[in-house]
Amino acid sequence: MTRTLNQSDLEAYLDEALPPEQMARIEKALRADPRLIGQVSAIHSRRSAGVHSLGDIWRGGRLSCPTREQLGSLLLGVLPDDAADYVRFHLEVVGCRYCRANLEDLKGQQAEGHETVQKRRRRYFQSSAGYLGH
Amino acid sequence: MSNSHQSDKLLIGRIRDGDADAWNDLIAQYEGRLLAYVQSRLRDRAAAEDVVQETFIGFLTSLPNYDQRRPLEGYLFSIAAHKLTDFLRRRGRRPTIPLAPEGTSSSGWQPDAGARPASSIVRSGERRGLEAAAVTDALAEQIDNWRRRGQWEKLKCIELLFVRGMPNKEVATALDISEQAVANHKYEFLAKLRTAVRKQNLSEDVFPELYQQQ
Repeated sequence: MTRTLNQSDLEAYLDEALPPEQMARIEKALRADPRLIGQVSAIHSRRSAGVHSLGDIWRGGRLSCPTREQLGSLLLGVLPDDAADYVRFHLEVVGCRYCRANLEDLKGQQAEGHETVQKRRRRYFQSSAGYLGH
Repeated sequence: MSNSHQSDKLLIGRIRDGDADAWNDLIAQYEGRLLAYVQSRLRDRAAAEDVVQETFIGFLTSLPNYDQRRPLEGYLFSIAAHKLTDFLRRRGRRPTIPLAPEGTSSSGWQPDAGARPASSIVRSGERRGLEAAAVTDALAEQIDNWRRRGQWEKLKCIELLFVRGMPNKEVATALDISEQAVANHKYEFLAKLRTAVRKQNLSEDVFPELYQQQ
């Protein structure tokens, strides 16, 4: 759905919280319209002064996000209908990027090979363990 | 406090003590969702893995300042978002956003319904934290009430209005309800939140959206 960008879109853009296609759309718009940069800059400044919108607080606190267990239940088809309907709305209409990532991860757990995952985790551990206890 | 929040607290306590096994556990628990989050934006597996690696390093270096009241997953996602933003800036995909100078209200420095000058709402960090915490609690309680009562339409409606910033008409279309129903849900929500804010003795300056016209 193509619609005019609003303040909430720009706030979510600053948080990297929108679905990738919407993030790309805003980046394209920012390159084309310097006034939009001014708007995003104003949000940035407002936040630096400690003024947050209700949307900022809701999104930042992930107040309506389903739990990972609920996302797992959705995949297994065992979530009650009304709750499942809401979770799909949250993923698809609201487009919560964090919940989408959780869902993708849960879906991918079966698909990815054990050795690949272990190798990646070892790399993360080895590159960061030097900072432990500092 | 949820069980997962409690177990995260214990895990972080061990990591603060330098426990390598605990650090391994945290990586195993969270790397998949962080990678999915970053990968969805970059479409480049190797680059996404690098950003996640930087996220974990960023977590350990920022650990002394981490407030454990904040959910761990949200904290990790916020670090990943910063690392991803830096990466995209370096690649030239994301423009640098400057801070707007104070007084440039025409560009939106002021919240929409904020009639007072910005300087009057610049407050101490501690005060801001208290205000945000009070509103977070009130919102969380309201959302929980809707869920327990099965009032999903209200939850969806308010989420679209305040999180997605949609106008009433678009929300009505998206949910296939009347604009009057949207206006009623909004009115009820704002009234409840205003009451909660007053109970906490917070200034009306704090969240001007609560006092906007319906």
